[in-house]
Amino acid sequence: MEIRSGITRLFRLPLHKSDLARQEMDEELALYVEERTAQFVSQGMSQSDARAEALRRLGGSIEDTRKRLQHSAARREDHMQFREWWSDLRQDLRYAARGLASKPGFTAVAVLTLAIGIGANTAIFSAVNALLLRPLPFRAPDQLMSITMISPAETDRPGSDNLPWSWPKYKVFQEGQNAFQDLALYSDDDFNVTDGDPERVNGASVSGNFLHTLGIVPERGRDFSPDIDAHANAAREVILSDAFWKRRYNAAPGMIGGKIEIAGEPHQVIGIAPADFRGLSGHADLFVPITTSSEEDLSQAWSLTYSLIGRRKPGVTVAQGKAAAELMGPRVYEAYRSGNGNTRPWGSTARPLDATRTAPLLRQSLLVLFGAVGFVLLIACVNLANLLLGRAAARRREIAIRLAIGAGRGRLIRLLLTESLLLAILGGAASVLVAWYGTHLLSVLNPDTALRAQRLDGLGVAGFSTIRLDNVALAFTFGVSMLTGMLFGLVPALQATRPQLTETLRGGGGPARHSHLNAISSRRVLIVAEVALAVVLLAGSGLLIRSLTRLLKVNPGFSADNTLTLRLTLPPGEVSRDSLPVFYYDLLDRIGGLPGVTGVAMADCPPLSGGCNGTVITFPDRGTVALNMAPDIGIHTTSPNWFTTLNVPLLRGRLYTDTDRLDQPRVLVISESAARTFWPNEDPIGKRVAVYQGGFDAGATVIGVVGDVRFNTIDSIPVADAYASYYQAPRSRLMLFIRTNGNPSLLAGPVRQAIHELVPAYPVYDIQTLSARVAAASAHARFSAVLMGLFAAVALALAIVGIYGVMVFAVLQRTREIGIRLALGAGRGKVLRMVMTEGMTLAALGAFFGIIAALALTRVLSAILYDITPSDPATYIGLTGLLGATALAAAYLPARRAARVDPVVALKSE
Amino acid sequence: MTLLKGTLDVLVLKALSWTPLHGFEITCWLEERSGGNLSVDDAALFQALHRMEERGLITAEWGVTANNRRARYYSLTSRGRAHLKAEAAALTQYARVVTTILAARTS
Repeated sequence: MEIRSGITRLFRLPLHKSDLARQEMDEELALYVEERTAQFVSQGMSQSDARAEALRRLGGSIEDTRKRLQHSAARREDHMQFREWWSDLRQDLRYAARGLASKPGFTAVAVLTLAIGIGANTAIFSAVNALLLRPLPFRAPDQLMSITMISPAETDRPGSDNLPWSWPKYKVFQEGQNAFQDLALYSDDDFNVTDGDPERVNGASVSGNFLHTLGIVPERGRDFSPDIDAHANAAREVILSDAFWKRRYNAAPGMIGGKIEIAGEPHQVIGIAPADFRGLSGHADLFVPITTSSEEDLSQAWSLTYSLIGRRKPGVTVAQGKAAAELMGPRVYEAYRSGNGNTRPWGSTARPLDATRTAPLLRQSLLVLFGAVGFVLLIACVNLANLLLGRAAARRREIAIRLAIGAGRGRLIRLLLTESLLLAILGGAASVLVAWYGTHLLSVLNPDTALRAQRLDGLGVAGFSTIRLDNVALAFTFGVSMLTGMLFGLVPALQATRPQLTETLRGGGGPARHSHLNAISSRRVLIVAEVALAVVLLAGSGLLIRSLTRLLKVNPGFSADNTLTLRLTLPPGEVSRDSLPVFYYDLLDRIGGLPGVTGVAMADCPPLSGGCNGTVITFPDRGTVALNMAPDIGIHTTSPNWFTTLNVPLLRGRLYTDTDRLDQPRVLVISESAARTFWPNEDPIGKRVAVYQGGFDAGATVIGVVGDVRFNTIDSIPVADAYASYYQAPRSRLMLFIRTNGNPSLLAGPVRQAIHELVPAYPVYDIQTLSARVAAASAHARFSAVLMGLFAAVALALAIVGIYGVMVFAVLQRTREIGIRLALGAGRGKVLRMVMTEGMTLAALGAFFGIIAALALTRVLSAILYDITPSDPATYIGLTGLLGATALAAAYLPARRAARVDPVVALKSE
Repeated sequence: MTLLKGTLDVLVLKALSWTPLHGFEITCWLEERSGGNLSVDDAALFQALHRMEERGLITAEWGVTANNRRARYYSLTSRGRAHLKAEAAALTQYARVVTTILAARTS
């Protein structure tokens, strides 16, 4: 009577499970009714009465009863099938885990390969997602557009389609257009918060509907009222960021309605922004209405300061929005047309806000890196396929035995597949760690500041600090890792379960060799592909590294060692213009007297930062020119000793001195480029010029020529610059350059203290060593080169592991053959050469295809390379050498093993 | 005499505690032991069997009857045995209490 469930189940297998359940139940119930009927008949009922009674007792008919019971039966069946499936799976998993544990070397390499390949991809994908793809964190961000003014190219100056607005021009635009439901102006500004401990804070000057346009509602308090834009000198109101409110004011609820002091003026806090909103820059802590400015400031039509964003009306397309903006261009131009009519008209245009999120150069670098990391993944997959193929080949005999003793092919494939899937899951899990760490590094690496210095910043809201390991990237990771496992597990599994049984069981010799050769040759193809992919990455990273070294060799025009820099801005009116020189003396004197300080100088703008002042220059002795046709010149204000402190060489003439004061004739020092541009064949010393800033428009004399200093990005060529003395052009904005004989960072405290004693209420900020500024200037190039170098190193390592693995395997397979050769008198040197040649042939083939691909692909790099062409021969020679050397090493070890084969042992084996 | 609600399960378990039985064997066993005083509700019996199988108190396997017919034989699991022990004790106790109360004379 005891029949094991496994056997009874065999009979039922062909049936669908609901049919099965019904049939079984009918059978059981029918038997019951029969026996009941028999009982009643034996008690004297007629057959038909007995049956009717039996059925009645069961509840009507077999059909009805069964239906009542069926539901629970079907569930029971499900449960049983799941249990069986699960127990099979557990068995497979146990077996697979044992298999992997018995080959720790293979498992480690495979898991590591996957972890790096997939992890690096996920990290870069996260970066691409944050910087390029993820929708901007505002309501309906696709309705938002950035609206800019267009200036046509003039003879001496390129045109631009990306110019900001002035308040009056914005008003003209606003009143004339009807494509946008909301328009808002903003400009990123720094504010001195002067209540309590003075602090310099990032913020934004905004029009009243700025938050409303972005769809942001203050978390507490209220938004600016729209009529705050109505007139200048508006009520002093401010909205704080949540972070700033918590940090500086300990999230005091009483702050709303209370006052804070900005640049000495009390402002009423009317609201707190939502926690994740910090303006379009991503780091604003304050929002202050633009209209708190004076009437005079607001009426400057050519003071192009503010960025304009607009939200399209529903139903207005991007193209219609752009057309509407372009239509307004001439009207805005006509409204504030400058006096002389010989400039070409300005225009305006609009593009989706999303298109401005990342600077094109950065976008390109990211995409290049994304492509590169895709190559790494490809190599990792090829490597894994290679490893699995090798493993399947090595297990051919074991699999043959299993097949011979009756294991089903499907079951075996499932077993092998489980093993590769387990490997993929392990790799996937490890890759999450790599991805998490990589993403973390990318987000704290945060080159935003450096990028801003290089004019590569887009919208800060989509900046590096917003990079997170996101769900999309995680799903992507797991998808790729499972797919890899399936694909590269299935192929070897199919191949391995298809051997001619007897041949394989008999041993290494005979026709079975044929399939071994097959396995080896498909692995050789994979190796060539792997090397080729690695070569492409090596070429890319080689080019970026060479470009970086060239960039680092660029002479910025000054020496940066042991110098601390910091900014100080005096509020306008705090120190009167006349007493500024005295203030400068005091300041320089006080800091110069600190221990360890060997020199201290001032300038209004640090080198390599971009964003310095510029104006136009005219030459009184060459007749009059319209100002808008005059050439551009950069204008810098420095203390007289700035040049000597920073080792900027004096080439001709003299520098200004402390005695060139306000009451003395105006003098200017110019840069070498200015001298070459404006006086190509003359000595500029003593020439009269007018420079339209700092009171030099009435004329000044050129007294000296100094070496070029790169004030813009490190890779932009130097332009014409002029220098004026702080004593002849007093300014309240200044940066201190303090040279020391030790570590400049240690001076920050004492210097801050000294300044605090002199002007207690105003913050010192942007404290950095000058060498940090220089390093930041090449941060973008460094970022790309380092990541690309890392990818190439991983690729090379994987390719080398691949070559090594295949060669070891090939030597093992051929032990017998090598033994025969040695026994027949082949020299060991010859065997060594034979194996090495084979390894090197694979590497050479890979290099050949790789270089062809690299020459085609590295062209995408040309925009981000500095002073080097994508086909730079030195790079290619270098990478060939590197690849050759490592391939040689990878082939040598197996070759030496082959040469040491003992013919006697080799022939006896098998 | 019909059964009080909830007692059928325990009785079925008791029947199965001797040996595995198929459906009608259980009915016969119960009717025999009750001296013919009990008539089993066939529909309720099957509900009980399915319910207890689902709860893992009993399991079913196909076997062959003395007449060479295929039949589902139910047997007790260890969980079912524990359940039977606990329920039987509770039910016996319950019956005793009820008897005591009903036997009491008003004094």
